Amino acid sequence: MPEPIIRIVNLTKKFGNLTAVDHLNLEIEEGEILGLLGPNGAGKTTTLLMLTTVLRPTEGTAFVGPYDVTQEPDKARTLVGMAFQDPKVLWVSTPWDILNWHAKVCGIPSNEREKRLRWVLEEVGLWNERRKSVHTFSGGMRKRIEVAKILVQRPKIAIIDEPTTQIDIVGKHRIWNMIRSLRDEGSTILLATNELYEADVLSDRVAIIHRGKLLVCDNPKKLKDSIPGGDVIEVVLGKDVSKKCLEEVERMNRVVDVLSTKPNHLKIYLNKAEEVLPQITEFFLKMRIPIKSVQMSEPTLDDVFAHYTGLTIEEAEKR
Amino acid sequence: MISLRNVWVVAERDLRTFLNYKHVLIMRALWFLAQIALFGLVVNKMLRPDVQEAVGGSYFSFYAAGIIISLLYSTSVFIGYDIYEEADHGVIEYLLSLPVSRKELVLGRSIGGGLRSFLYVSPMLMVVLYLIWSSNPQSFVSPLQLFIAFLALFLFTFGVSGFSITLAVSIKSSDKFDIFLGMINALIVRLSTTLYPLVYMPSYYASVAQFNPLTFAADLFRWGAGLESAVLTAPAIAIFGIISFFSIFTFLGIFLHERVLEGGSWQ
Repeated sequence: MPEPIIRIVNLTKKFGNLTAVDHLNLEIEEGEILGLLGPNGAGKTTTLLMLTTVLRPTEGTAFVGPYDVTQEPDKARTLVGMAFQDPKVLWVSTPWDILNWHAKVCGIPSNEREKRLRWVLEEVGLWNERRKSVHTFSGGMRKRIEVAKILVQRPKIAIIDEPTTQIDIVGKHRIWNMIRSLRDEGSTILLATNELYEADVLSDRVAIIHRGKLLVCDNPKKLKDSIPGGDVIEVVLGKDVSKKCLEEVERMNRVVDVLSTKPNHLKIYLNKAEEVLPQITEFFLKMRIPIKSVQMSEPTLDDVFAHYTGLTIEEAEKR
Repeated sequence: MISLRNVWVVAERDLRTFLNYKHVLIMRALWFLAQIALFGLVVNKMLRPDVQEAVGGSYFSFYAAGIIISLLYSTSVFIGYDIYEEADHGVIEYLLSLPVSRKELVLGRSIGGGLRSFLYVSPMLMVVLYLIWSSNPQSFVSPLQLFIAFLALFLFTFGVSGFSITLAVSIKSSDKFDIFLGMINALIVRLSTTLYPLVYMPSYYASVAQFNPLTFAADLFRWGAGLESAVLTAPAIAIFGIISFFSIFTFLGIFLHERVLEGGSWQ
């Protein structure tokens, strides 16, 4: 197993009586995209700020590459670049100035800088606005500047906090593609998000955190499969089914529960639906019960979150 | 180990940011012109010849040299407002996440804050020198004196910048900082020799004003520009005063700023 590029050990941050991050343990492997999923206030941003040495942990530590963030923060920061949740720009600055200075402070040589800036500004759709003050920009445009910083920098470890909030759907896909290409160029990505779909489509693994604690971490497929009866197959049959038939279906491997919403309408809760579906159709054909329609649905990461917390992400945010 | 390249890159950011405050820069320059062309000229006509003689032959020259120092001071304190502005916009978190050390960051800010003010005021300093020399054509200007005066003003801007950073990181609220700095600015300019010499001040004011860094800077600049008057602070004392001010506040600003950033109390 390769050495993790980030190792978080008992990381804790307290603000007065509030424990924002509570003894978090997590390892991130080189070259992966790890999605840190949780509702607002779960402790995602605080974790990221400790990894970038902006905040000092109250307890525990994290290793960024070989460097302990509490002992060698200056060295740790040479490996990391962060795109913040709220754009960190002064209203008087222009996109060109912001990115040019960012590239300079990150040590990108001048012959490379201009080329890279042009490419990134075109990619995020801000080339024509590069000389305008950001105070005239919308929230989405400012957010694009924030993401552009990391694309210009191409750090070994890119930490990205909610990259697509306030960005339209076309822009989201653009940014997702850029994050993927950043990974393909060799960066490890730590992506904090509260958007389930974003975490699902982008992440190799998803770590779900709630109230500062890590609940679970695995790849999205395994997380969904980990919910007993998480997959649902809805079958509408040509005639009513007997109680005996229902019991037969219930006894099938991986089936967790069967609900008869109408006499000819079954809702089957199971795992690995794609493997069980042929068995179910074969069973009804053998019983000479015609199948009118079949609909299969997978659990979402929201279901995974609800499974571990008893709350949907929306409910967790309200509490 | 401090990287000078990193310090310079940080300082460069403050220089560029300052240039973006176009309206502020234009307004300050207009304020300076109004002070010279209106206030300076009118008051100059009001004063008796003996007063004019006491301040080196022309109150207008004395005043022009003083007002440019007050402009140098007011633009150098601007870095403190930047620090608050950045805290409001969360830019401080961004700066802390960058691959520069905390020492490089605070040193760069202090240098940037002073340097940008000096560069901005330099053309107006030249205008003032021209006005002084054209109104006293017989005065002798030593290039060495002028060089020493400029060097001291350069240090003065770093000291003021450090002073502003010290206040900005010590006062938690931007409103309080704004009010406090407004009050300090009013007092520090009026209790100095930027507008009038020590000899015309009541003794209790003069006893304070003689230790004011603006007094040292204004009188040293007058000396460098060739204004000869007994009312000016002795150059050696002024140089010593400016070096002390620079040393205390530049390093205090750097020390406190670094401590605040490391300790996380900027939050």
